[in-house]
Amino acid sequence: MIYSLDTILSLVLLSVLFSFGSSRLPGLIKVMAFQGIVVSLVPLFTGHDLTTGGVLFSLVTMVIRGVVIPLSIHLVIKKVDIHRGIEPIVGFHASLFAGLALIVGAIFVSHSLNIPSVSKSALLIPTSITILIAGMFILMARRNAIAMVLGYIMMENGIYLVGTTFTTHARHIVEFGILLDVLAGVMIMAIILQNIKQKFDDVDTVHLRNLKE
Amino acid sequence: MVELLFLLPILIGIISFFLPKKSGRTMLVLTGGIHLLLSIWLWLKRPVAAFPEYFAVTPEGLLSLLVISFLFFLVAIYTTAYLNEIETQSENIFIGSMILFLSTMTMVTLSDHIMVMWIAIEATTLASAPLIYTHRSKASLEATWKYVLICSVGIAMALLGSVFMVLAMDLGNIDIPLSFSALSEVAVKLDPAWLKVAFVLILVGYGTKMGLAPMHTWLPDAHSEAPSPASALLSGVLLNCAFLGIFKTNKIMVAAGLGNFSGTILIVFGLMSILVAATFILKQTEYKRLLAYSSIENMGIIAFGTGIGGLGVYGAILCLIHHSLIKSSLFLTSGNILLGYGSRLIDQTGNLVKLMPKTLIAFFAGFAGISGFPPFGIFIGEMFIIIGAFRTGHYIVATIFIISLCVVFAGFANQTMKITFDDADDDIIIKIKEKASMIWPQYILLLTSLVLCLWIPDTLYKTIIDAVAAIGGGF
Repeated sequence: MIYSLDTILSLVLLSVLFSFGSSRLPGLIKVMAFQGIVVSLVPLFTGHDLTTGGVLFSLVTMVIRGVVIPLSIHLVIKKVDIHRGIEPIVGFHASLFAGLALIVGAIFVSHSLNIPSVSKSALLIPTSITILIAGMFILMARRNAIAMVLGYIMMENGIYLVGTTFTTHARHIVEFGILLDVLAGVMIMAIILQNIKQKFDDVDTVHLRNLKE
Repeated sequence: MVELLFLLPILIGIISFFLPKKSGRTMLVLTGGIHLLLSIWLWLKRPVAAFPEYFAVTPEGLLSLLVISFLFFLVAIYTTAYLNEIETQSENIFIGSMILFLSTMTMVTLSDHIMVMWIAIEATTLASAPLIYTHRSKASLEATWKYVLICSVGIAMALLGSVFMVLAMDLGNIDIPLSFSALSEVAVKLDPAWLKVAFVLILVGYGTKMGLAPMHTWLPDAHSEAPSPASALLSGVLLNCAFLGIFKTNKIMVAAGLGNFSGTILIVFGLMSILVAATFILKQTEYKRLLAYSSIENMGIIAFGTGIGGLGVYGAILCLIHHSLIKSSLFLTSGNILLGYGSRLIDQTGNLVKLMPKTLIAFFAGFAGISGFPPFGIFIGEMFIIIGAFRTGHYIVATIFIISLCVVFAGFANQTMKITFDDADDDIIIKIKEKASMIWPQYILLLTSLVLCLWIPDTLYKTIIDAVAAIGGGF
């Protein structure tokens, strides 16, 4: 069980590195879809007692995080024919290097944290930290509004992973509420993105800096 | 039955998306009225929720709920008149979102479960986003984008904090429902290190939504670009909802004996907000942004008072109530000015005293109230906070607090004089008539504030004392 969990977690880490290196939006969205699916698989392998409700909830999470959310962003790109490149503030090579440094740092830090993990896997906590910070990194290091939304989604994936790592308390109804909020948030962001594209003819956030003071 | 208070508006809100124009407006006022009656009923009866694990009627929640309900009803009346004056392409979206916004805010005030609180606060962001984009301009689009992105990311931090709260509980080997009230009772057993981390993250998260500096950057944009009734709600009650999340978390901290830690952080964020607001108010050129920065200032005062503890908390709650009443009236009044002059710039206005005399009364009284003239409530609240600060030995921060309040007052007074008494351009023609429904809501809000300074009903006083007692507040 533990090895399969580690395999899944290393796939999550791989998705982080891929996302840092993606220079095209469709590619980045595919990476995020992949990440959504593997992240939702994690609870099935952490060694909890698996109830029917738990499995069902994981499946719903997988559909929403892995299919519905990426698809809605993908549809925006398709619908408004957005220029596909991602304008980085921090270059792709530098980003990749930062990603590697982040993973190493996260593993280093996780040893000094006194956290009772629900599983013996050594990768669980470092992966959670990595994906969380990676999301913030994409939010800050990309000027493209769609890439920023994807960064937000990655952050939410990270918080979900942290939540499932630490706690056994969660009620599915509450988790479902959180998931619904995230989904609605992404939908609203997608609508705003469409409007941004129509008004400014671009999704570069340089256009969104007129309101000051 | 408690849950009815937010379930009913959700239902009505969804229906309103599909209603024709005129009936939508009636629906808005009707919902406001029903909600107000239900809130009063809740206040008097204080029933137990059907899902006690998730929802509870708490004194601080009741205070916010009554303010929300009262404000919403008056804003709804104003909105019907306001919508006659402006052109919107999608009025049903506006009205539907307003009602959904009411329902999500109600849910915040009633939720007792940490995660449900988060869900509700994030839902307020989503429900209010369409309100900001009502005018469909480039600037409003930018404001909406910033609002949704910054608040969502900020609130995500609060979710992380909530998860750490659970971790603190696991480390303390306790197994109880994840509710604020249950956690406060066993707070001493929680792991202090992770509790501190949780508090900081929750403060940063909900602080973003509350408009505390330096996470406030979305607030002036959103509040100035939204149509005035929506600004009144955003500024008057939404900020309180976010504060409620911080207040309840602070309760756990105080119960765990970490009150000093959380208090210091609150004081720092509070002072920072007041200082930032002061610098921007001094050279502000738009009156709606002026009001928005004043909200940041007031939220700073409230955070500061909560951090001080003791008498300060009582003062903070007074400021919270009066800020809601006065600031929402000011935003509604700014709607009149905007409709009348057709510009948001202070330079383009002037001579309000001749051109819009009824609006002037509301505007000037609102200014006097919000900037802390005696005998308005903000003055009393600030006095309590200052006395509380000196009593607990916070001499230096209290001095900075007083000086920055003076700066804010000077800046605000200067801008207000320009709007009210400076000469306006000769060719300005006021575009609207000052109808009763666009004046009286403000008057009622201000009068309520005034009455509450002179006479606080016993039940209200007791509820405030109950709310602040848990964090060592009171006389």
